[in-house]
Parts: sequence; C-alpha cells; structure tokens
Amino acid sequence: MNDNELKNILSDIQAPAYDENAKKRALNLAMAEFDAVQNEAVKKNKNNAQGFSFFSRLIGHTSQDERKQGMKKRTWIYGGLATTTVAIMVVGLMRPEFARLSSKPMMVEQDFNVAILSESKPKMDNAIGVSKNKERVSARPEAEAIAMVDRVADVVLAKPEKSTEEYKDVRLKKQVAASIPSAQRVKALVTKPALAPPAIVSEPVIIQTLSAEVKRNRVAGRDMAGNRHAPYSRNIVMGSTSLSKSKARVMSLESPAYTSPKIRQLSMPVPERVERYDAFQDSRGDKFQHVEENAIKLVSKDPVSTFSIDVDTASYSYVRKRLSIGQLPPKGAVRIEEMVNYFDYAWPMPATRKTPFKPTVAVTDSPWTAGNKLVHIGIKGYEMDAAETPRSNLVFLLDVSGSMSSANKLPLVKNALRMLLNNLKPDDTVGIVVYAGAAGTVLEPTPVKNKAKILAALSNLSAGGSTAGGQGIKLAYALAEANFDKTAVNRIMLATDGDFNVGMTSMDELQGLVERKRKSGVFLSILGFGRGNWNDQLTQTLAQNGNGVVAYIDTLSEARKVLVEEASSTLFTIAKDVKIQVEFNPSKVAEYRLVGYETRALKREDFNNDAVDAGDIGSGHTVTAIYEITPVGASGRKIDDSRYQVAKTIKSESDFKGEYGFLKIRYKLPESDTSTLITQAITTAQVDMNAVVKNEANWATAVATFSQLLRGSKFTGKVNYDTVIELAQKSKGKDEFGYRAEFISLVRLAKAVKGM
Amino acid sequence: MSEQSEEDNALAKVAASGDRNAFETLVSKHYETIYRIAYKWCGKQADAEDITQNACIKLARSIGSFRGDAAFTSWLYRLVINVAKDWQRQQMASSQQEPISDNIIDKVTLSQADDSVYAQQVIAGIHQLPEGEKEALLLVVSEGLSHAEAAEIIGCKESTVSWRIHEARKKLTQLFKGGAGL
Repeated sequence: MNDNELKNILSDIQAPAYDENAKKRALNLAMAEFDAVQNEAVKKNKNNAQGFSFFSRLIGHTSQDERKQGMKKRTWIYGGLATTTVAIMVVGLMRPEFARLSSKPMMVEQDFNVAILSESKPKMDNAIGVSKNKERVSARPEAEAIAMVDRVADVVLAKPEKSTEEYKDVRLKKQVAASIPSAQRVKALVTKPALAPPAIVSEPVIIQTLSAEVKRNRVAGRDMAGNRHAPYSRNIVMGSTSLSKSKARVMSLESPAYTSPKIRQLSMPVPERVERYDAFQDSRGDKFQHVEENAIKLVSKDPVSTFSIDVDTASYSYVRKRLSIGQLPPKGAVRIEEMVNYFDYAWPMPATRKTPFKPTVAVTDSPWTAGNKLVHIGIKGYEMDAAETPRSNLVFLLDVSGSMSSANKLPLVKNALRMLLNNLKPDDTVGIVVYAGAAGTVLEPTPVKNKAKILAALSNLSAGGSTAGGQGIKLAYALAEANFDKTAVNRIMLATDGDFNVGMTSMDELQGLVERKRKSGVFLSILGFGRGNWNDQLTQTLAQNGNGVVAYIDTLSEARKVLVEEASSTLFTIAKDVKIQVEFNPSKVAEYRLVGYETRALKREDFNNDAVDAGDIGSGHTVTAIYEITPVGASGRKIDDSRYQVAKTIKSESDFKGEYGFLKIRYKLPESDTSTLITQAITTAQVDMNAVVKNEANWATAVATFSQLLRGSKFTGKVNYDTVIELAQKSKGKDEFGYRAEFISLVRLAKAVKGM
Repeated sequence: MSEQSEEDNALAKVAASGDRNAFETLVSKHYETIYRIAYKWCGKQADAEDITQNACIKLARSIGSFRGDAAFTSWLYRLVINVAKDWQRQQMASSQQEPISDNIIDKVTLSQADDSVYAQQVIAGIHQLPEGEKEALLLVVSEGLSHAEAAEIIGCKESTVSWRIHEARKKLTQLFKGGAGL
C-alpha cells in the first residue's frame, strides 16, 4: 500500500451530514457551559481567593495540555508543594525513615492519615494481618491518637456554624504564610474540613481539596515543632508494608497507581463547579439487562405462578434522575416491582416479631383492560422498636475511583453516611474500606460513639484512580469477619457507581464470593450513585446473592429516605427467602399476568425447596405484587381456548366457588434455615378490603401503570399519563413526606419529555 | 499563517476574553470541522455527534486558555482528538465483556465511485489501529498536516509521529497482504 492510495481513501471518506438538531444541542450546551465559565470567572475575581477543585471534569482523564496550562496559571500550587517538601526534608534529616518519603509528599499525607486512624485500635492489627509490625506500632501510645482526634472533634463541635467563605479566607492566609505554620494556625486549619454544612451537595468538593492541604500542613506543622515526627514515620512504614500482607495494598509508597492520580489532582486546577456537569454526564455507559415483560398465562395450562419478593427501590430513583434531566429512561431501567415498592404502603401490620409479616389481598378493577381485575398482594414487615434492634457491625465499602468524583457521587456518599451515623447506636461499629486503583482500609471498625473519628476518616476521602471492586469486596469481608458478632447485624454497605473494572471482575466469581459470605453471616447491601457507569445487572446480582438491597441514591433527600427513614429496614432483616406462590382457580380465572418481578421468577418446585435463595424483608418494609387476571367469561381475554382440549372437571368445584386463587407465602426467620408457610385464599368477595387498603391498592396501580407506560408495555390498553395522574391524585392519601406528590410531578415530567 | 487561520485566531482570542457572540460564531463555524474529525475517528454518525458535543462543551471550558501562540485549528485538533480518545476509552471500559470486533463501523460513504470492498476494508483496518497510530495517521494523511505539526498537536516528537505512521502503514499492508489489487 502506498502513501497516495492511503491518502486517497482517507480523504475520500465523506462524513455523512450531521443532524442539525445535534448541532443545535451541542451549541446550546456549549453556550451554557461558556456562560457558566464566564460567571465563574467573574465570581472568582470578586472573591480574590482562587479555589481549585479536581472534580468538575466531564471526562475522567487529564489531557496534557490542560495540565500545562494549569501550571502556568497557578504556580502557587507548586510553591505550596515545594514548601511542604522542604518542611519534610528538614525532618528527613533528623529521622532516616522520613528521608525516603520526602520526594513524595503526597504519599505522606495519605499514609499518615490511614495510619493514625488505624492505629488507635492496635488489637485490630491482628485481624488484618499486620501483626508483624505490631511492636513498632505500639511504641506510640494509643492515647495520643485518640487525644488528637478528640481535639479535632472539640473544635469541630465548638464552631459548627463556620461557612465556606470563611475558610476560603483561612486558606488564602495559609497560602501566604505556608512556610511558617505556627502550631496555632495549623490547629485551626486542621479543624476546618469538618465544618462545612453537610447538607449542601456541592460543598464537600471544596472540603476535600482543602483537607488535602490541611493534612499537609498538619504534617509539616508538627514536624516543625520537632518532637512528633517519630510515630508518623513508623505509621507510614506500617502503611506501606504491613497491610500488603493481607493483600490490601494500602496506598503503598511503591504503588505508582496511587501516586499519579494524587499528584495529578494537585496539578490540575479546574473551576470549582460541579453540579451543572451532571446534566452533561454521559449516561450511555449505564448498563441494563433487557428483560421481556411477563407474558399472559393461561390458567388451564399454567395455573401456578411463583416468584421471590423484591424490596429494592433503585429503579425508581434512577428513573427520576433521568426524567429530571429531560430524558426518558431506557426501558430496561424500569423495573415495575421496584417502582411500586419505592412507596411505603399502609398494609396492615403483624402484631409480633414471631410472625414477621402478614399478607393483605385486595382485588380491584383493572384500568388497563375492561373486565379484568387486579389482585394486589401486599406485605408489610413487622417494624422493630429501637430497643429491639440488634447491634450493627457495618463496613462501608466505598468506591473512590476517578469516576466517583462528581458531586452526585462521592460527596453525596459522604453526606449520606454522615446521616446514617446519626441513626446508629453508640455501640454499633463502623469500618471503612475504599477501593480505587488499590483497595485499602481507611478506618478499622470503630464504635459509633467515637463519631469524630469516623467523620474525620470520611472527610479525608477523595476520588481518583481506576476501580478494583473485587479486591475491595474481599477486603471489606475480611474486616467485617474480623469484627464478626453473631448476635449483631453484620453488613457491608457498598457505595458505588457500579464499576468493577479491575481485578476480580467476572460476575460468577463475585457472585460466588458474595454467596459464600452470606452463608457465613455477612450480608451485602448496595447503595448506587451517579449516572454513566451504572451496571444494573451486576449490582442486582450481588445484592440479591448477599441478602441485601440495592438502593439508588440520586439526591440527598433520597439518601435521607434510604438511610434515615428506612435505616431499620435497610439494616435489619426480619424474614429471609420470602417466596410467593399463587395458584389460580381455573373455574374463576381464565388468564393471569404477573406485573413486574420478571427477574425474580422462580420455578414451581423452588417454592418448597428451602435451599433456593429468595428476597428478604427488612423491618418495616412493604412489598406489593400485582396480578392482572381475566375472570372466566370476561371480554378481555387475549388467548383463545384450545379447540381440542376438553376442560377437565375440577374436584368438588363448589368448595372453591368464591375463590380466584390461593396465595402461599414461604419465609424463614433470620436465624432459621427452615421455612414457614402462610396461606390465604384470594376470594372474590374481599370482605376485608377497607378504604385504606383500597386506596393503597389504587396507588400501587397508578405506579404500576406509569412504569408500564415507561416500559412501553403492550398490556396497558388505552391508559396514558393523564390517567395515571388522575388515579394518583385520588389515591395520594396522607403522603407525609411528599414522595407521592413527587411521583405525580414525575409523571407530568415524563409526559412533557415524551412530547419533546 | 493563511488569512483564514488568522481570522480564526482573532475570533478565538476574542472568545477567549469572554465575548459570548464571538464564541458562538466560533463553535458554529467549526462544528463541521470537529464533526468531520470525530467521524473519521469513530466511523459512526451517532458517535461522531456525541464526540462533537463533548468537544463543544470542552471548548467552552478551555477557550479561556487559548492564547493564540499556535493556530487555532491546531489547538482545536488537539482538543477534539483528546476528547475522542477519552470517549473511546470510556466506551471500551463500559463494553468490556464484548469483544472489540463486535464494534462494527457503519459502511463508510466514499465520494468517488471507488466504493470498493477494499477501501472499506482499509478504513475498517484504520479503526483497529492503536490510538497513537490512528491519530498520527488521521492528522498527517487525512488532514494533510506535516509531521511536525502533527507532533505539536499530539504532544510528542516529530520522529514519533513518523514512526507511528510507518508502523500504521506496515500494519495496514500486513492486513491486506495477498488482498486484491496489492
């Protein structure tokens, strides 16, 4: 092939004409972006304080040109870096261990931090395999670390009102006087990171970057003081060698994977805005499994329907998120049962914990096909009192890879966890494992009463690097098992955007691990964040196998719903492996269709097989399932009768005259391995259907209708979004927290988006 | 610098200083250029439009740093190629389970009658090249830049560009060894 030939072919490629709308959209986005950048510039000049944030990138990779330009613009960063390096160098002369580190000051802060936190509980060292270094570590009295954390806490508590503006000033001053950090200033700075009001989503971005500075200062300041450096250097050594014993490379000094993002972060000033980018975030990376909707079944041929319950709610928040930016969600993202179960239903509750739930059956007319009926099966789990709840041994497994850096991810995770902390009991323990390029323990299991320490560990997290989810999960399990308490709830809370792309990534392998660990008593729940990387199938599979729930957290208020209002259901299982089986009466029902639960279908024989895993119910959870049935003789039949099959006679038909079908539910108590059976007839009379139940059933119908419309279901007949709004308005009920009102506005939004 | 590129540079500098209208004109004017590069990079209209959109947003963010030291088009090439690379990496990361060969490109439209299978194969071959070689090849052979200019844009040495083009050509030749008309 010669040059000309190649050239001819290449220059011959004609790009097809682009879509004018695409151009318009791109232009509009670019202009919006331009305006925002300009506004930001104006604001910056006003403030005089230059902030920098590494989290506002649309695309996770640094391009060289930007780096160069950034360096030109803000040389003071290098100035600060140099100062720190010098400060550590001075110490390095005094302590040989430190000399090694002086060339990589960023590593010092990171390790320093990890070490301090892990050290105050030296007995844990055994558990994660650092016993070799124990004698070195214990040279530093435990009290010192605690005292330090407490001091931080004191100041934090003393000045909770500080605003961001104020510490921008502090930071400015620090820039000027970075070379001579007096003990006083350092102390003040140390306290700053925790001061930001946690309710504001965009705030933590600033906090993170600031805390990096603060930490640097803390190291420098103390070393200047001259007598505290020894323990730190020891800690750092521990960080680099000991944890690698347990295959958990905690930001080891040799690990280039960790050095580079950190350094890169520092050298990459980007404007301090984050939220607007969310709108531009590419959500095509989200992966959803395509699931065919359940088909209509003929009762004469297939009278029994079996499925596992599902209390996940992730689908609803994902749909909300997509609609809020003006896009219809992909069909695979709409899981009807998760949409329906997002809401709390006022189904009647059981009286004691011994019977963890009781089923409620309601039959209403179907709005989708005239003559059809909807059978609602509602379950409300027993709600435990605070006094009854067992102790919790939680390990947060946090994804801090580069993809988690936007404001709706890691900063939101942190705020969500802060909220959860307030809901835990003082003797509950919390551990934190992070994973990015490498996995590492950031916080050994710590009692919640030591809240300041947990908060400090949380606020020190920042995102960068790729994702080693598999390794992270292993480490989290190791930590949870080390602190295993048979009477407690042992649970890993995995916060991720769904990316597990380095290391143990095979789904089967992960699934196997999660399943084995579930049997050993450590459960897994998943909190999903952000858009663009969401791997729906993987997270579903993991949580289903780990006896946990998947919740998708798109806003702070969703975080509050999942982790505060529903903390007990998220954390405490009251019944596991809950399976539902319905047998329809062929003399009453001709056809039926289960609405949703496609991914939860079970075989008929699985129902009585206790070895088959199924969904779990947490304290106070509600689960609702809907069947659309076509009674015998109704006009809405979709399947013709067989010409040749003569209907078999049913034994003593009169006994079941009033029954549409028979409901069977199997469940196991959390500590039991054998299941219990509950049965109830689905009668045509439905005497127990009071106004509340009817209302709740209608609400479920509205949500199911909406979900099916979004999925493009072929079974919804003539209903449209207006029908949904009307039905929802009528059955909104008390709606204490406004979730149902939000649903209605979501339907309106979908209607508008659809029209676009 | 040609008259055209001087005009571009002047416009870009005004936009860099924060002039909204200038920026709008600039993006509008270069949309097609960006799109064309993106298309050659990925070979799919929908993907090219996505890359172009990302590039436009990126342009809004980075225009402030355009100083006019180099021609605006070179600066733009670099930006677009970086966006395209980032985009491609993202795609690869999110479709890891699928083999790359599934990533079939659209049938490319050729202006001349030479709509031969061979030309199509060459283009498909180019899309299989490693990132570095692909960008060098596109800039030099397709956009008609000199090796030095391409090196400036990619941010590597001129000799690296020459080497990559050599490698790319070798690979393409290898690919079509024994093929018709060679």
